[in-house]
Amino acid sequence: MFGVLARRLASAVPVLVIVSLITFGLMRLIPGDPAAAIAGIAATPAQIEQLRQDLGLDEPLLGQLLHYYQGLLRGDLGRSLLLGKGVFAATMERLPVTIGLSLYALVFTLLFGITAGIIAALRQNTFIDQAAMMFAMIGISVPNFFLGLLMIILFAVHLGWLPSGGYVPFGEDPLGWLESTTMPAFSLALLQAGLLARITRSSMLEVLRQDYIRTARAKGLPQRRVILKHALANALIPIVTVVGIIVSLLLSGAVVTEALFSIPGMGQLLTQAVLNRDYPMVQGGLLLVTVFLVLVNITVDTLYAVLDPRVRHE
Amino acid sequence: MKRLSLASSLAAAAFVLSAGTALAAPFQCPVRGGDLVFGQEANVNSLDQMTSSTISTRNIAMNIYESLMTRDENNRPILELAESMEESGDGLTYTFRLRQGITFHNGKPMTSADIVASFNRYNRIGLQRSTLDNVDRWEAPDARTFVIRMKQVQPTFIEALSSFSVPIVVIPSEHENDERQQLRTVGTGPFRLLEFVPGSHARLGRFDGYQPNTAFEQRTGFGGYRVACLDTVTFRIVTEASARVAGLETGALQAVEDVPTRSLESLRRNSAITILPLENWWIQIALPNTANPPTDNLAFRRAVQAALGMEDIMDAATDGNYRLNVGFQYPGRPAYTDAGRETYNINNPTRARALLRESGYRNEPIVILTNRDYPPMYNAALVMQQQLRAVGINANLRVVDWPTSVQMSQRVNSNEWHFFHSGWGTQPALGALATMQFLVAPGANYRPRDDKDDPDVLAAWNDMNNLRDPAARQEAFARMQRLVLERAYAYPFGALTKVQAVRANVQGYVPFRIPRFSNVWMTR
Repeated sequence: MFGVLARRLASAVPVLVIVSLITFGLMRLIPGDPAAAIAGIAATPAQIEQLRQDLGLDEPLLGQLLHYYQGLLRGDLGRSLLLGKGVFAATMERLPVTIGLSLYALVFTLLFGITAGIIAALRQNTFIDQAAMMFAMIGISVPNFFLGLLMIILFAVHLGWLPSGGYVPFGEDPLGWLESTTMPAFSLALLQAGLLARITRSSMLEVLRQDYIRTARAKGLPQRRVILKHALANALIPIVTVVGIIVSLLLSGAVVTEALFSIPGMGQLLTQAVLNRDYPMVQGGLLLVTVFLVLVNITVDTLYAVLDPRVRHE
Repeated sequence: MKRLSLASSLAAAAFVLSAGTALAAPFQCPVRGGDLVFGQEANVNSLDQMTSSTISTRNIAMNIYESLMTRDENNRPILELAESMEESGDGLTYTFRLRQGITFHNGKPMTSADIVASFNRYNRIGLQRSTLDNVDRWEAPDARTFVIRMKQVQPTFIEALSSFSVPIVVIPSEHENDERQQLRTVGTGPFRLLEFVPGSHARLGRFDGYQPNTAFEQRTGFGGYRVACLDTVTFRIVTEASARVAGLETGALQAVEDVPTRSLESLRRNSAITILPLENWWIQIALPNTANPPTDNLAFRRAVQAALGMEDIMDAATDGNYRLNVGFQYPGRPAYTDAGRETYNINNPTRARALLRESGYRNEPIVILTNRDYPPMYNAALVMQQQLRAVGINANLRVVDWPTSVQMSQRVNSNEWHFFHSGWGTQPALGALATMQFLVAPGANYRPRDDKDDPDVLAAWNDMNNLRDPAARQEAFARMQRLVLERAYAYPFGALTKVQAVRANVQGYVPFRIPRFSNVWMTR
């Protein structure tokens, strides 16, 4: 187990180096003047020039790269051009919001996705199977932005059950947090739930055809035990793999959802940073998100070892 | 020393402005209390008004901070934290007498030491610190007096000092050394900051220690007699237009900016909502690149001018929310002139083709540089392209994002574009002087070769800045506008109207350059 962990952690280092290089290079390749973006449409050319000097944007590229890596070695991700504060501090303000929203969406995803997948597999080729897969296809096909808008019109404007936007921190008011994140989480989750339902169904179908399931049934084990202990436990490995990917999809999908529901998360922060050419924020923010995703993947790999004794022994 | 009692003269101006209610007592809140939530379209990254030129920052910060001078409803300079201002006979010294009883939101009384500290910080990191380039020094001879001494006479200094573009807001002296964008948000305005979560919201609360400016009886422009009636005002960032409309309909938001045209019809039918158009929000404009052929050719530029039909361009740009407008100021504003009106909205293809032949144009591809970040600019460019094609100009769009288009348009002698689409909002609202700086080096928007100004335009600009007689300066502005239009250095299409909306129980809200929440109340 520890060997698996150590290997995965070691392999994360080059990933982070490559990500940092790519983000640095990509941001410099995008045309556009950060000073013009940050100064806004109301600025005069003189104001833009003044801002360019104030932000030190006239430094040569190689010098900027050198400063960036020197900072990274010191644990300093730099200072956001847009916010005027440290990238790490800015990220730590927003990342928990997005992680909270993504985890809430993950709960919906697992609940709907796995349940629908299992039911569809158990009732293969019946009306229930078709209905569940139609639900999955709708989830995959409807853009979460569109779904979010429909939900706002129905649940906020017409029914008045949920707020149309805004965010309440969990620590401030847990119920308010639930109210403010339910629609965004659901609209974010639907696509992934559809995906998960289809994968769970096919994985379960494959397992249900195995000899040991037939044996378990022949031994007279109750259906519930056969499904949960023997079938689902073995079908979980591909599902866990997908869940790891789903977490990263939820994080990236949050960009649109956060904008629609006015949630101050990482998605909004990074979108603003890219649109405004806030180089340090994009570089540092993406690096921290990558660290988070690497940790998620390591967790998934560790879970393999928990779920499958063969991986442990390897 | 001649005494220019700006307060009294401008109070008189305010009298004229609010003639209907002029004899009434100073404004009193009909209802006190309530929490108003305003849906703001653009993100706010910082509330440091000294270092930000963004409209989104100004929207919030100008409800918190005040300056020595600001602008009234018609954009004339008025006193705000000063009760009087004297200009010496030689025009080299301005002496401000501060109003008494002003306190900061932290309870500290404001003195001239705070004004000195504010000027010091602005001079160190203020984005428009060039305003102080011609200032020799500033000093505080006593706690209520602040003196500015100039290096040379600058007749337009008061206009620059009262600018709301990046104003010199007054902060407590202990905040003088706060770094860029790290300014602690403490001002003297009617609202104080309660909470600011970048990307989410800023919540302001009524400042009970606020002293209204008794030189006025009503709010005017950014200043005047201001009273906070509401308990709190929350500026919630709602970037999605549909979400803003939904919030307004549900009552989650009590006021919003920039209502999309597609929602206007249904909102007008809703008796719980009041639509408030804000005319003259910006001048929709395109600028030629005169460093390169064929836009370096006057006959070609005039051919383009002759081809343009402004109704179609503005209609597409604004979904019908516009007014035709000649030049760089708005009718009714002090500096407005229609000089050069014969160049506007010609829409004569025959004349355009004749001018094209005269120019020797040989179907070279013409690049119209625009962006999708601001849909009015993209839509205006699209119609312009069709109108130019209709007269035989091989016009093509180049669509990038706003920062890229600005970067491309500012390159000296760039051959990447021929027309650049923009919108001028804050500067025309500030007046002729602020606007016409867009048309002189450095960074003249028509991009003359090697950034060298047209000498006639430059001469008119210098007169606008240096003549002591206001009437002569106005004449210089009219001359400069005429020159720019006749030489086709700019194609102002018209004035865009921005639509705002409030819930019907929100009273006293009048759209302006910022959403003003003093003298606004909510009925229950």
